[in-house]
Amino acid sequence: MKTKDCLITMGVLLIVLGFLTLTARSFAEGTATAASPASQGFPSFEVLNPEGVVQIVPTVTLNPHPSTLEGKTIMLRWNGKHNGDRFLNRIAELLVKEVKGVKIIRSWEVAPETVEPITGSQERSMELMKKLAAFKPDLVIGSQAD
Amino acid sequence: MGIPTVTITTTEFVDLAKDTAMSQGVPDAPFVVVPHPMGMIPEAEIQKKAENAFAEIVKTATLWKPSGKLPEMKPAYPTERVTFRGSAEELNSLFFTKGWSLGLPLVPPTPDRVKEMLKGTSLKPDYVIGKVPPRMGALTVELAAAHAVMAGCKPEYMPVLIAALRAMLDPRANWRGATTTTGTTSLLVIVNGPIVREVGIASSQGAAGAEHHANASIGYALNLIADVVGGSKPPSPDKSTLGAPSDFVPWIFGENEDRLPQGWEPFHVKRGFKKTDSVVTVMAIYPPVENIDHWSVTPEEHLTWWGHLATPLVSIGGPCWISQMDQIHLVGIGPEHAQLVADAGWTADQYGKAFWEKARLPFSVWPKGCPNVDLLTRKLGRLTPDTPVPITFSPDHIQTLIAGGAGKHSHYFAPFPSCFPVSVNVEK
Repeated sequence: MKTKDCLITMGVLLIVLGFLTLTARSFAEGTATAASPASQGFPSFEVLNPEGVVQIVPTVTLNPHPSTLEGKTIMLRWNGKHNGDRFLNRIAELLVKEVKGVKIIRSWEVAPETVEPITGSQERSMELMKKLAAFKPDLVIGSQAD
Repeated sequence: MGIPTVTITTTEFVDLAKDTAMSQGVPDAPFVVVPHPMGMIPEAEIQKKAENAFAEIVKTATLWKPSGKLPEMKPAYPTERVTFRGSAEELNSLFFTKGWSLGLPLVPPTPDRVKEMLKGTSLKPDYVIGKVPPRMGALTVELAAAHAVMAGCKPEYMPVLIAALRAMLDPRANWRGATTTTGTTSLLVIVNGPIVREVGIASSQGAAGAEHHANASIGYALNLIADVVGGSKPPSPDKSTLGAPSDFVPWIFGENEDRLPQGWEPFHVKRGFKKTDSVVTVMAIYPPVENIDHWSVTPEEHLTWWGHLATPLVSIGGPCWISQMDQIHLVGIGPEHAQLVADAGWTADQYGKAFWEKARLPFSVWPKGCPNVDLLTRKLGRLTPDTPVPITFSPDHIQTLIAGGAGKHSHYFAPFPSCFPVSVNVEK
C-alpha cells in the first residue's frame, strides 16, 4: 500500500509539475487569449508584440550629495518658465537665512543665455549646463515649472 | 559633470520628469514635487509654495542617495511573438488595453504579413532605425514593418515610412519635445520627387486630408510608432493640454510640383537635393493657420492680408522663447496664390520676404512675464510698445512650398520650439 500511495503521490506531483512547466513555457513564449468563452472557437495564431523593448544604458553616475549646505555655493537654475525665478528667489532668501555661509548664484543673472525652456536636444542641454558648471557650484537647484 | 542637483517639478509633471531622466540613462534623479501649477499664479502664492517646499529641498540636497535600479534588458530583435486566440474585435480590444494601438481597428501583425511588408525595403529586419522618444523603445525595421501592417500600409510605402522615421529621429527634429509638450503639436511630413507618383502620395486636391490611402496609412503608422514604441500617450508622458486629431494621422502630403510656377524650384531642391531625388522632410508643428484670399489681384495686396492673418501665431508663446525666432517656419502656398505672385514676376524668395515683413505684432501685446527680452533687444534694438516684432529674426527663416490643389487657400506652419525641418533621402 505504501508503495502504491507513493506512486500515486509521485504521479500527481508529475502532473502538477508538467502543468507548471507548460504554463511557464507559454508565458515565456508570450500568450494572449481573449477572455470570452466564445474565443475558444477561433484558431490560435501569432502576432508580433508592437511595443518593442527598452534598452537603457546608464549614461552617468550621480555624485553623492553634500552632507551639509553650510559654506557651499548653490547655483539656482531657471529655465525661463513663468514664476520659476520667483520660486527660486524665495528659496535663496530662506537658504541665506537658515544656512550659515551659503553662497547663491542665480543662473539667469550670470548666464542669461542659458534661460531656455525647451533645449530640443541633449547636446544643447549639455552646452548650457557646461556654462553653468563653469561657475563651480557645489549644488544646483533647478526649477522645471509649468 | 559631477555636480549634485535638486530639480523642482510639479504634481502634473513629475512622471514625465522621471521617465525622461530614466530614458536618458539616469535611473533616478533627485526631484522635489510641489503642487501644480507654478506658472500663472500670483507672486504671493508662488512664494508660499517655495516656503512649503524648502525643508524637502534641503533634505533632498543633503540626504538623497541613488537606488540605481534599471529595467531588465531584452534584445530588440527578433520582435516578441504573442500567441492569440479570439475574434478580430477581441484582438483590437486586447491591443488597445495593452497600449499597443490607438483604439482604431487594425490589421493583425502576423509574422506572415510582416514578412510580406519587409519586401518593401532592402534594409535587414534586425537593423535598428533608432530609439523612439520619450520611452526610447528600440525600433527595428521588423518592428516598423509590424506597425505598417497594423496601419494598413502597402509594402511599397516602407521606404517613405522609414525615411520619415529617420528624419524624426534626427536630434534637430526634437521629437521628444514635440510628443511630450503641453502644446497642440503634430508631425508635418512633406514628400518630394519621383516617389510621390510611384507610390501614390496625394499632392493635389485635399492632399493632407486622410482620404488618400498612402498618406493616411503611412501617417497612421508614424503615430502608432510614436505612441506605442515611443510610449507617448496622454495624460503622461504626452502632456498635450487638448491634443488634436492629428495625433491619429499627421499632416502628410506631397508637394504639388506640377503646379510650381515657371522658374520656381521644388522644396527639396531649395533644401539642397537634386530634382530627381525622392525626399521626405519632417517638422513638428503647431496647428496651421489658413489664409483665405479670393480677392487680391496683386502680390502686395495678398501678402498684406496674409501677413496680418499669420500674426496671431506670434502669440503662441514663440516670441517669449527666443530660440523659435531663429527657426525655419514654413508656408504652404496654394497653387493659385503662387500663380498670382509669379504672374507679377515675383520669385519664391520675394514672397517669403514680403510675408516676413508683414507678419508682425507690436511689442506691447507680449505678456509681461516673457523672459529673454534682453536677448530680443540685442537682436532688434531698443523696443517700444509700438515696435513691430517679426515672426523670425530673418526673412531667410521663411521657407515656401506649393501645397494643395485648386482653390484660394495657403497655410502657415509654425515650428515647435527648438525643432528644425529635417530632410532625408528615400532609399529603397
